[in-house]
Amino acid sequence: MEYLKMNNITMKFPGVVALDNVSFDLRLGEVHVLLGENGAGKSTLVKILSGIYTPTSGEITINGRPVSDLTPKGSADNKIAIIYQELSVVDNLSIAENMFLGKLPTKKKMGITVVDKEFLYAESEKYLKEIGLKKNPSTLVQDISISEKQQVEIAKALCSNAKVIIMDEPTSSLSIDETKNMFKIIEHLKKNNIGIIYISHKLPEIKEIGDRVTILKDGKYVKTLNISDLEVKDLVPLMIGREIKDKFVGTKREIAPDEQPTFVVKNLTRKDGTCRNINFEVYKGEILGFAGLIGAGRSECMEGIFGAKTISSGEVYYNGKKLKIHNPYDAMKQGIAMVTENRRETGFFPNFPIWKEIAVSTSLKKSTLGGFTGMVQTKSEKNIAEKFTKKLSIKCTGVNQMTYNLSGGNQQKVIISKWLAVDSNIFIFDEPTKGIDVGAKSEIYAIMRSMAEEGKTIIMVSSEMPELLSTCDRIIVFRDGEISGIFNSDEATEEKIMLAAVHLS
Amino acid sequence: MTKEKFQSFWNKFGTLCILIVLFIAFSIGSPKFFPQPANLIQCLLQSTVYILLAFGEFFAILLGGIDLSVGAVACFSGIIVADLSLKGVSPVVCLIVGLLGAVLFGFINGVLINALDLHPFVVTLGTNTIYRGICLVMTGGNPLFNLPKWVKGLSAYIVGIPKPVIYVAVIGIILVAFTTKTVAGRNLYALGGNKQSAWYSGINTKKYTVLAHILSSLLAGIGGIVMLARVGAAEPTAGAGYETYAIAACIIGGASLFGGKGRIWGVILGGITIGTINNGLNIMNVSAFWQKIVMGSLIIASVALEKLISNKVRK
Repeated sequence: MEYLKMNNITMKFPGVVALDNVSFDLRLGEVHVLLGENGAGKSTLVKILSGIYTPTSGEITINGRPVSDLTPKGSADNKIAIIYQELSVVDNLSIAENMFLGKLPTKKKMGITVVDKEFLYAESEKYLKEIGLKKNPSTLVQDISISEKQQVEIAKALCSNAKVIIMDEPTSSLSIDETKNMFKIIEHLKKNNIGIIYISHKLPEIKEIGDRVTILKDGKYVKTLNISDLEVKDLVPLMIGREIKDKFVGTKREIAPDEQPTFVVKNLTRKDGTCRNINFEVYKGEILGFAGLIGAGRSECMEGIFGAKTISSGEVYYNGKKLKIHNPYDAMKQGIAMVTENRRETGFFPNFPIWKEIAVSTSLKKSTLGGFTGMVQTKSEKNIAEKFTKKLSIKCTGVNQMTYNLSGGNQQKVIISKWLAVDSNIFIFDEPTKGIDVGAKSEIYAIMRSMAEEGKTIIMVSSEMPELLSTCDRIIVFRDGEISGIFNSDEATEEKIMLAAVHLS
Repeated sequence: MTKEKFQSFWNKFGTLCILIVLFIAFSIGSPKFFPQPANLIQCLLQSTVYILLAFGEFFAILLGGIDLSVGAVACFSGIIVADLSLKGVSPVVCLIVGLLGAVLFGFINGVLINALDLHPFVVTLGTNTIYRGICLVMTGGNPLFNLPKWVKGLSAYIVGIPKPVIYVAVIGIILVAFTTKTVAGRNLYALGGNKQSAWYSGINTKKYTVLAHILSSLLAGIGGIVMLARVGAAEPTAGAGYETYAIAACIIGGASLFGGKGRIWGVILGGITIGTINNGLNIMNVSAFWQKIVMGSLIIASVALEKLISNKVRK
């Protein structure tokens, strides 16, 4: 008997259909895995269940009863608990207070309502014992480890009598022993007749812990399978496989046998360990793609190369010469450009018109003493900006228009212009088409291709497999902060990339 | 006049309009106020210290931060100049050392903000108290007076115009050029607009934070020396609370506390507004105690009025 049912759920956002007629159900006492690539719609589904999004159409029934308007509170009332990847415990409260957040037990003391500490601690102790967390309930959450915090969240779900627990990549930051312990807890929850929706990219653990799996792709429902009768590697083809239109377009950059790469990265490791021992090389005029799951360390690696974040080791060579890069200024001076993932946070200036935006790095490069000297050349800077708005066909009322008033695609073009104006040679694009509409996307690909043809060297990090396959000459795959595969465009397929990006053992 | 035209007019001249309203109000309040050019000059003179401190404050606010130590730094520079002048040190050396002291304090502010990664509010809240303490320790809590004649001469009149007004005019022109015509000035605006974007564009955000705080303290130091010249004595409590006037002048002048916005021209008008309120209330014989209450209310009223009109225009 299905406890939770979602029938024909569709979720539309302006310009995107995040979920298209997706159905999903959950029985009590089972682990139902949600599987899919980046952007397949898993998070959207979870957000609908948690009451953050209201679906455009479709119906949800819980325990046979239709639930029309699920709000965050309604979700909790329906005994649904969610354990997010970014844990939501309050660090400066005790374990017990976290478990009873918003419903602390009280008693009367001299006519005043106070927290009933004895009851609070005794009650939370009970749940902690149940899941095997040996901690005093009065311990502050800031003093316990991440896996223990996760267990506190599970205990919290138990003490709110949750029937459905959603776990979003619960093992992504756990060690092997902690993962084993987590599985033990999940087995225990199953025995207690709790249904678990489990999101993970680690295929082997899906086999180990899951009962059924539902696969989503591009917001569409693919299949629901019993896990006992399938092999892990059978899952990968289901997660991918689109129409052939995403084949490589343009002329592939052929590499001569004796050609030397123009840009080489050796043994790059970031101080925070988000990427380790990265080695790769790019040839002049080539577009090198970086594939991988979100959080695999691709952007982190690029930030390290660009000097925006600290690296603990690693060398970068340009045309055989070793570069010294301590910050983005050094990178910029030596011809490296980076178009960042989040335009709003790290891309443009809300107080600058287009021409100033484009001139910022150029004037910095021309100036001396680390960028403290030099005069603003308004006239020539405006001319340069006008040249680029024409060249990249930026839709604007003129170079005096504020960048933040432009559409996402045109903002991106302004940022690309900024780096073209500096005359950079190595371009790092981090998710260059994020939040950009389809038409502008193909314009950005065309710009990148023509830049490559003009002799620029291009690195492109992307979580959209089709655009990597259609734009890149070669594709490097990241997994857990390390390189796990390199493919030429003629041999690269979604399946090969996906197999390299996820854990198979 | 179309809406857009009025909006751009108001952006440019809003502060000036507020100032004119104040002038008219005070002229109605006291016949002694407006018609006399002597009093207009007096108004400007009274504004000079506020403007100089506000110039400094502007650079801290431009980065989206704040500098609560400008009052104490001004006092410190004044004390150094007074102390050295009493020891018979030559004027030029006195002034240079006084300003270097201010620069040092600004440098400390900037370095602390970078090294501890704290909001400038917290850092300068602390250093303000520390710098004030240093002023008290240096003077033993007593004012320094009987200063050489040249000190007072720093605020003398030249052909009917007080020297401090000339200083402000010259420094104002230099700062307008700095903020609008130099790469460094534009980078400060970039940093104030979006710190992360600035970092990823190659701007060394830490060095620029130090630069902004050095400028803040240097200009406060100049303000402190003008204050010393006008008063003729160095009080260890001089300039206390002036940071609030400096901040108010910046905001009245159109600077945004979120950073990245504002003009030197506006700061000058903002400073004159503060000076005018001060002068007007004096002439109307408002008691010094009541003046504070009225001053605070007028600061809020003038910013609110400007905002009200801006919002109306936008709609």
